[in-house]
Amino acid sequence: MSSFPLNVLVLWACSALAQLIVLVLLFSKDSFRKLPFFTVYVALNLSQVAFLVIVYSIRGISTDAIQNLAWYSECVTLFAQAWATTEILKATLRPYQGIWGLVWRSLTGTSIFVVFLVALTTRGDWATHTWFELNRGYHLTFAATVIACLVVVRYYSIQVPVAYKMILGGFCFYSCTEILINTVLQTLLKREFDAYQPIWQTWTMLSFIMVLFIWVAALWKPLPVDARQAPPPPSDSIYRRLSPEVNERLRELNEKLLRLWKMEARPQ
Amino acid sequence: MSFPLLLLAAFAGLLVLLLIWVLRDPRQFSEPGGDLNPWEDMDRRHVTYFPQVRQAMAAQDFTFLASRGSRALTRRVHKERRKIALVYLASLRSDFLKLWRLARVIASMSPRVGASQELERLRLGLAFSWRYEVLRIKILFGFAPIPELGSLSDVVSRLSIRLETGMKDLGERAALAAKLASSLDGRGLRTP
Repeated sequence: MSSFPLNVLVLWACSALAQLIVLVLLFSKDSFRKLPFFTVYVALNLSQVAFLVIVYSIRGISTDAIQNLAWYSECVTLFAQAWATTEILKATLRPYQGIWGLVWRSLTGTSIFVVFLVALTTRGDWATHTWFELNRGYHLTFAATVIACLVVVRYYSIQVPVAYKMILGGFCFYSCTEILINTVLQTLLKREFDAYQPIWQTWTMLSFIMVLFIWVAALWKPLPVDARQAPPPPSDSIYRRLSPEVNERLRELNEKLLRLWKMEARPQ
Repeated sequence: MSFPLLLLAAFAGLLVLLLIWVLRDPRQFSEPGGDLNPWEDMDRRHVTYFPQVRQAMAAQDFTFLASRGSRALTRRVHKERRKIALVYLASLRSDFLKLWRLARVIASMSPRVGASQELERLRLGLAFSWRYEVLRIKILFGFAPIPELGSLSDVVSRLSIRLETGMKDLGERAALAAKLASSLDGRGLRTP
């Protein structure tokens, strides 16, 4: 632990405190019932901090072994992050079965495409920076997939509760900054690994703390009750009232267009 | 910076911009039912004025005016009719956008959405936007591309036909759901 610069240790403590606040908010506002996977994700992150403190405090373990253990724990939290995000997207799109089906397909398609892109761009550095490449590849896939889903959600004018939007936005922002930090530092400090580590830690932790503040703001109030759990869409009252009206108007339009076509078909 | 890294950084930058755009609060977001208010003036569709606009842009009129010798009048008429064509084009676009929005609302209500149909509609939207811009520029520069204006009207009409099919399909589903619910209630079962 003593090998870390003071600023990294301070940021680490701030991050742990902010995570604790998020967790307390999740339980005190009863939001953990609506977002169980997100709660597990925050709890796992907090546990990871404790785990890393223990790992770094044990004497006699090689630096490589410590780093591998740290990255293994990161894998667990990243897996939880993916589940938490899917949970929020699913909660947002629950009343829109058709769109959820479409989002799932676009999610899979985008993931495959980005994984292919990542594999293509990182093949040279694979052996030397395996963990960093894996980390960046994951964040790239994650951010691209979630943003693709959000684009679909926006295209269909589906309202996302502000709190959910802030949580998803936080995840994506963190992933984007991770990609940028990894890429820029890899370029600038490729050969100076000693300088690389603290700078990388400072920036990634700073961005994560920013995200935690966004989440604190999002969870400050209890999560909104989903008022969209009405009957299934085809029997929805608004839809039943509007659909014959719109249908009738479309028919009128078609008749008008048919007359226009007939007029067009007539020889001049 | 190597090319792959540059590509990655650019991609990340693009993702950040997309994220900002996606999270920006759109002003016209509303519940699916509320989206349909602009349909009040559906019976006043501008696409039906195509023959009049075609007449207004017909070359014969200009030839006739030119043969009568009044160049200033020909120019004035040309300018005014170009304005009419531009207004018609903008109205056609407004018709299209309304239809497009309605189609999205229908899709969001549908329990099953076909990716191919959605992609087809997206393609139609992109094709319409492209043709609209090209035509607008052409008209602004004094051409009279009537056949192309007709093809643009075609896009609007094709979309409306597809919408009607979609609405019919949804209507059938609604009827089936209602029938199923009433038969379950009849057996003393409570449906949600």
